[in-house]
Amino acid sequence: MNTEIPIWRIKYYPRSLNEFCGRDSIKETLQQIIKQKNFPHLLFIGSEGIGKTTLAQLFAKEFLGNYYDTNFKLVYANVPLSDDERNQAKSEAYISTSKIGSIAGKRITTPAFIQIKVKPFVQLKVIGDAPFKILIVKNFESLGSDQQGFRRLMEIYGSNCRMILITTKISNIIDPIISRCQIILISRVKIDRFKDLIIEIAKNESLVIDDTVIEALYKVSEGKISKAIDLLQLCSISGKTIDMQKLYEHSQRFQNDLIKNLLLLTLQGDFPKSRELARKIISNYKYDSHEVFTLLLKELNKLPLNKFTRNKLINLIADSDFRAIDGRDIDIQISALLSKICLFSEYL
Amino acid sequence: MSNKIPWVEKYRPQSLKEMALSSAKVSGHRIKLDEELTNFIKNFYIEIKKINEENRKIRAYNRTAIEKDQKEELKISPEKAAILLEGPPGIGKTSIVYALANDLNMEVIETNASDTRTRKTIERRLKETTKTRGIMDFITQSKDKLILIDEIDGLYGVQDRGAVPTILELIENTQFPIIMCSNEYKTSLQPIYNKIQRVEVHPLPENEMLKITEKILEKEKISNLTNEDLELIIDKNNGDLRGVINDLQGISQGIMEKDNKELILSLHRDSIEEIFSLIRELFQVTTLTEARSLTDKSDVDYNFLYKWINENLPTFLKANRDIANAYENLSLADEIFGRIRKTQYWGLLPYFYDLFAGGVALSRKETPPIKGFRRVIFPRYSTGSYFSLTTAEKEFAEKIQKIYEISPIEFLQDLLPFLKTLSTSSRKQLKIISDWLELDAKEKKLLK
Repeated sequence: MNTEIPIWRIKYYPRSLNEFCGRDSIKETLQQIIKQKNFPHLLFIGSEGIGKTTLAQLFAKEFLGNYYDTNFKLVYANVPLSDDERNQAKSEAYISTSKIGSIAGKRITTPAFIQIKVKPFVQLKVIGDAPFKILIVKNFESLGSDQQGFRRLMEIYGSNCRMILITTKISNIIDPIISRCQIILISRVKIDRFKDLIIEIAKNESLVIDDTVIEALYKVSEGKISKAIDLLQLCSISGKTIDMQKLYEHSQRFQNDLIKNLLLLTLQGDFPKSRELARKIISNYKYDSHEVFTLLLKELNKLPLNKFTRNKLINLIADSDFRAIDGRDIDIQISALLSKICLFSEYL
Repeated sequence: MSNKIPWVEKYRPQSLKEMALSSAKVSGHRIKLDEELTNFIKNFYIEIKKINEENRKIRAYNRTAIEKDQKEELKISPEKAAILLEGPPGIGKTSIVYALANDLNMEVIETNASDTRTRKTIERRLKETTKTRGIMDFITQSKDKLILIDEIDGLYGVQDRGAVPTILELIENTQFPIIMCSNEYKTSLQPIYNKIQRVEVHPLPENEMLKITEKILEKEKISNLTNEDLELIIDKNNGDLRGVINDLQGISQGIMEKDNKELILSLHRDSIEEIFSLIRELFQVTTLTEARSLTDKSDVDYNFLYKWINENLPTFLKANRDIANAYENLSLADEIFGRIRKTQYWGLLPYFYDLFAGGVALSRKETPPIKGFRRVIFPRYSTGSYFSLTTAEKEFAEKIQKIYEISPIEFLQDLLPFLKTLSTSSRKQLKIISDWLELDAKEKKLLK
């Protein structure tokens, strides 16, 4: 077997805090914490794909040292539970033994996610010589009202297990959680550190790349390192020299063309076909309705349209996204948007 | 005469070879049902032979040893003694067990929901056969036995009290392999689930069912059912082969001269057909009162009905303006319904009714009136279905997750599309990646 890792983003994945690219002030704070061997619950905030989880994980690894494997867990709040897990959570519900008060004799259920993924870990005592366990909860905002369940958990089991909550949207986190955590803001990597990293990779893979191209790469990848590395690898297939033209060509291909196609098809006014395509995209990528709407909006802004058309389309997308918040059937909401765009296309 | 035998029994397959096998899964992995069951039975007999021999030695030892030195007799482990087949009704779970027994020349001892299953009756029926072999067994070379506990999810109520512990005990002490069948998950059966292997059985694909029904019609010499009729029957039964065969018998042994379609319609007037005709009528109404009275008098669950309307809307409305108007109403109805469920503000319900039925039906302005028969389609897009990966995607993700921390969602939306672009741009890359991750054919397909 080839020992060389063929996927670059995995190959150049940082193995320690020092290797992690840029963000020196945050790294310093974290290193300070490691020295003190103590920290409160943390809340990592930053936009998508810039390395929050990587940072949190590397931090936990260095904090726990040898006891990392047994005292660490990473859970994804946005990945739904399987049917079996759901059933298990249901079967673990119990009837309150309290004889007075509002919960007397009622069936007590804990939110399934907490019951299955979180509670068993935080209840278990620390194994080995670590000061406490570390739990990372990714996409914490997607828990919605289940966040309430974390309030007590963080207090009761706080001495046993510290949590690092990771989120992209601070506005969706409830206040009691924010007040229980130390907030750490994570910015995207600065361009000069990004350059250093890319030059190092280029050296390793014997690529030829100049400064202006790296700057363009930074722009195209929006400062997301894994995305930049992906793009670099794609470009490298057709030769070791990487120039502007290649970069733009690949970044076009690399981006999700399906949504753009969907938008174009809909603007031609064929409703049944565009609904078919939308369903295909959703079932392939398993997007939820909000994701589809934001992707559509993103693609819309790239299309050359006059300002009235653009305004009208944004209005339609916003309206549908708004309805989908309470709506129960995302297919209806997405079909509604498509049908309205189809109608609108007749006036173009 | 032969007319009196239900066709379901008449055409029950005698051997696995003549059976169209349903696909099956064990904890998410696809398996071959026939191999799995045959292996299960073979392994059971190997295991039980070993254990019996061991126990004979222990018993001999115990007879001479003093009490505190006595050894416990061995018991077979539950997952080797019993297996559970789970799946919707009528897809051939019982049939496969009988066919298997026939192939292996075994006798089936069956208990199902029609027997009362108190502790005593189960004990009487099964324990005797499981614990001891009858006297006759020593004289004649009798058949091996297979215990089938059908419909175990039907174990409930007062009469079946104590059945679960009895079955557990039975599994521990059995001398014969046990196969259980069940339609759905039951919390009360959790102790059983914990101990044994569960096999998920899926319905047959429609083309397989079509082949089977065609064969039966040929044998019964029935020629006036068209393929379209058969498809309609199969459609309606939703994977339930037993239901399909029962329907066929019902139609063909009714009055053959009558229009077939009418007969089919009459079979399931209560459920699907009602929706079919309701949808057709609804798209033809011209006033709100008509639309209201249609939805009022039907028993169809509205929770369900508006999804049918969503699916069939483009079949009945053609002009973009009409479609957009209809969806304006339908999406508002959906939002209102969601809000009712969230806030329990049931005062909003009348709007929901008028918007999803009347609002949609009355959006017809530019589309010409419907002429002729329009086929109503089942709602295909099931919402409320949670994010879930196919087996191949899951295995692929797990391989990646061993070396690289990534959530299933990121894997599907971010990494997999990248790997796909990478490996479609050069064959060499595809080979390197699939060699490195040791991908099998199915997982490789995800990259193409």
